[in-house]
Amino acid sequence: MTAVISVSDLVKTFGRTRALDGLDLQVRAGEVHGFLGPNGSGKSTTIRVLLGLLRPTSGRVRLLGGDPWRDAVALHRRLAYVPGDVTLWPTLSGGEVIDLLSRLRGGIDRRRREQLLERFELDPRKKARTYSKGNRQKVALVAALASDVELLVLDEPTSGLDPLMEAIFQSCIREARAEGRTVLLSSHLLAEAEALCDRVSIIRLGRTVQSGTLAELRSLTRTSVTAETERAVTGLTGLPGVHGLQVADRRVRFDVDRDQLDGAVRRLVEAGLRSLVSAPPTLEELFLRQYGDVPTEAVPAGRWSS
Amino acid sequence: MVVVSTPTLTGTLALLGFAVRRDRLRLPVWLLAGGALVAVQSTSNQTIYRTPEALAAYQASAGSNAASIAFSGPPVGLDTVAGTVAFEISTPLVVLTVLMAMFTTARHTRADEESGRTELVRSAQVGRHAPVTAATLLSVLACTGMGASVAAGAALTGLPEQGSVLLGTATAGVGWVFTGVTAVCAQLTAGTRGVHGLVGGALGLSLVVRAIGDITHDGLSWASPVGWAQATHPWSADRWWPLLLPVVGTPVLMLAARHLLDRRDLGSGLLQPRPGAATAPRSLSSPLGLAWRLHRGALLAWAAGIVLLGLVYGGLAESVETLIGDNPDAQVFFPAGSTAGLVNAYLGVTLQVTALMVAGYTVSATIGARTEEAAGRAEPVLAAGVGRLRWLGSHLTVALVGATALLALDGLATGVSRAVVTGDATDLLRLTGAALGYAPAVWVVAGLAGALLGAVPAAAVPAAWIVVGGVAGITLFAESFDWPGWVTVLSPVARTPAVPAEKWAALPLLTLSALAVALLAAGLGSFRRRDLVPG
Ligand SMILES: Nc1ncnc2c1ncn2[C@@H]1O[C@H](COP(=O)(O)OP(=O)(O)OP(=O)(O)O)[C@@H](O)[C@H]1O
Ligand SMILES: [Mg+2]
Repeated sequence: MTAVISVSDLVKTFGRTRALDGLDLQVRAGEVHGFLGPNGSGKSTTIRVLLGLLRPTSGRVRLLGGDPWRDAVALHRRLAYVPGDVTLWPTLSGGEVIDLLSRLRGGIDRRRREQLLERFELDPRKKARTYSKGNRQKVALVAALASDVELLVLDEPTSGLDPLMEAIFQSCIREARAEGRTVLLSSHLLAEAEALCDRVSIIRLGRTVQSGTLAELRSLTRTSVTAETERAVTGLTGLPGVHGLQVADRRVRFDVDRDQLDGAVRRLVEAGLRSLVSAPPTLEELFLRQYGDVPTEAVPAGRWSS
Repeated sequence: MVVVSTPTLTGTLALLGFAVRRDRLRLPVWLLAGGALVAVQSTSNQTIYRTPEALAAYQASAGSNAASIAFSGPPVGLDTVAGTVAFEISTPLVVLTVLMAMFTTARHTRADEESGRTELVRSAQVGRHAPVTAATLLSVLACTGMGASVAAGAALTGLPEQGSVLLGTATAGVGWVFTGVTAVCAQLTAGTRGVHGLVGGALGLSLVVRAIGDITHDGLSWASPVGWAQATHPWSADRWWPLLLPVVGTPVLMLAARHLLDRRDLGSGLLQPRPGAATAPRSLSSPLGLAWRLHRGALLAWAAGIVLLGLVYGGLAESVETLIGDNPDAQVFFPAGSTAGLVNAYLGVTLQVTALMVAGYTVSATIGARTEEAAGRAEPVLAAGVGRLRWLGSHLTVALVGATALLALDGLATGVSRAVVTGDATDLLRLTGAALGYAPAVWVVAGLAGALLGAVPAAAVPAAWIVVGGVAGITLFAESFDWPGWVTVLSPVARTPAVPAEKWAALPLLTLSALAVALLAAGLGSFRRRDLVPG
């Protein structure tokens, strides 16, 4: 598989602020790639570097086989972008903005434009000044989705959309993938990323901390196990790979590394397994574990055992 | 003034305190500029018109020169040095004060509303009228401060105290009125730029009405707030009663603004926007098409203003001769037959002053590009297959071509009204050519703004306006203040031969054109190499 986006060791500083600090990002052709990170972690900055709007301080950046700074114009004909903060020309109507942006990109599919306007229930005649936040977002989305391009770069494209529109957005992205387009999707909505993305990269403080398919990311982390047994469980304490063990009467809860799952479950079976809940971490948990204050070593006793 | 106790005014004082804090660096700069302007004019006039002969010569020439009456004010009190100071400085002071009032009031009313800050503020315990009342109070206070600064600048340089205080109060009075005008305009249109346009138009109209009134002596000056201020005749008649007009007019305007505010929704103007087109016209397919669409409203308004100005100035040229006929002192200095030279001198000055205004247009259009960038609207265009040079080049093209067209219109309009009076159609070509002679100078100003935009994006907007102010200051004052030659060289407008008062010369125009090209290239080059900077 060829890489549509390939970033390695990207550094971008603004004066003394180090917005990107050795970031890596690989997006393969035809995939929907989730780009996740907390506020201020550098998602929008990375996207602006990819679009040649910011000049990298150091590092290697390739986009669609070219250099995003030097070959900006040629590359931009092949991609469409939805900014994180959509500001439109207050005196232009939504329809005019959609037409302008797609014409600049080299043409518009009129039928698709009409379909999208209908699906997103957007009135193209309103002046941009009078659109609601969600409707401004829709203008940018329709302009991007109506263009016939290889790559969609979307910076938090659904902030402000209602759940109904969110569902329509998701089906549009699935169609785009079915047509063979590549999508880079920065998002805070983990459910959205989980529903759409083939692979995700999680960044923090301008650095990539995890990258891979959701399955891969999950396998790197622990599974939470909650079980009830007939007799008190023995032998879990001190078993390698078991973390945050909590025992309350005949119920136990612990997190266990993937490769130790087998051994841990054996102990439960030996104690007479009555019920078992084992859950792979949700993206939310992965995310919180990466940056949240949720400790990875031990869960405070009071939180569960009481 | 206003009673701050009704519920619709809740929070006014808190907002006023906050507004003072936001403007605590800006406003002192305006006030200092006003005080300095008077002080410099006062000291320089006290040197230049030291002798009675010099004063008499000045009185005879300025008092009968339509250009100086058109741009300064009524020629009264020119028998004292203090009177010459009032004559020469009152219009610049008024313009400075009105601009301060306009920017301050609009910033705290429509601009806040446009950016959504007013919504946040109004959701707190804040009455409906509080934001606009706080903004106007701030501006009225600032104008009063400007008056104090003017009075101090005059009195501390040795001019009589009563006249100093009167000049300061009269200046402040025009500021108060235009604070009210801005508050009203801020209710009409939904965009801050529109407010600036309306208020700028009102100021232009006030200046023109006063100029016509003072030259034709038909009382028309009383229709202009600028005329009210100058009717006080500081240091000669020292009349206080004309100040009743701003004192009554300002509260009326403020009440009108409140009344309008009650009739509209937050965020919108009184004029409801009509629905736009569902699809873009063919012309909106390129960065240049977009730039034209964004700039055309302002350019057309400017064109209308410039044409009006040209017609008025051209039409007034005839009165140069009448004025001299009325003034026996002047006939000593300008014997019969030399009036052709005087008319040319007058036309030279009017074309030069209009060129300075066009320089203001070209800068506002050039930094329109920076406004787009700061608002994040350059990003989607630059990410849609448009190169940096093409994007900035489009805005520059509109700024340069637009300014050149404005100059041509100025020359044509002046020429038409001149030709109608004289019956000599050659004036049309001669004056259009003379006006277009300022094109290279105006391009240089655009080039400076472009270079600033490329090199120091965050500071480009104020810096570009300082450039315009500097160029205007040097062009208008360098000669009367006797500044050294190297200062004059800094103004491209002053370096352009003031045809028809002076002779044509190709060399300065060629040098200026080359300089403009170099500056524009520098601006484009540095914009291409730098990051996009949000505002
Ligand atoms: N032009 C700039 N000048 C200075 N600092 C900047 C600039 N642009 C971004 N930063 C800083 O870089 C860091 C990364 O910002 P960025 O906008 O990329 O974050 P983000 O991941 O998109 O956040 P969010 O999820 O809130 O959109 C932040 O600390 C921000 O303050
Ligand atoms: Mg962001």
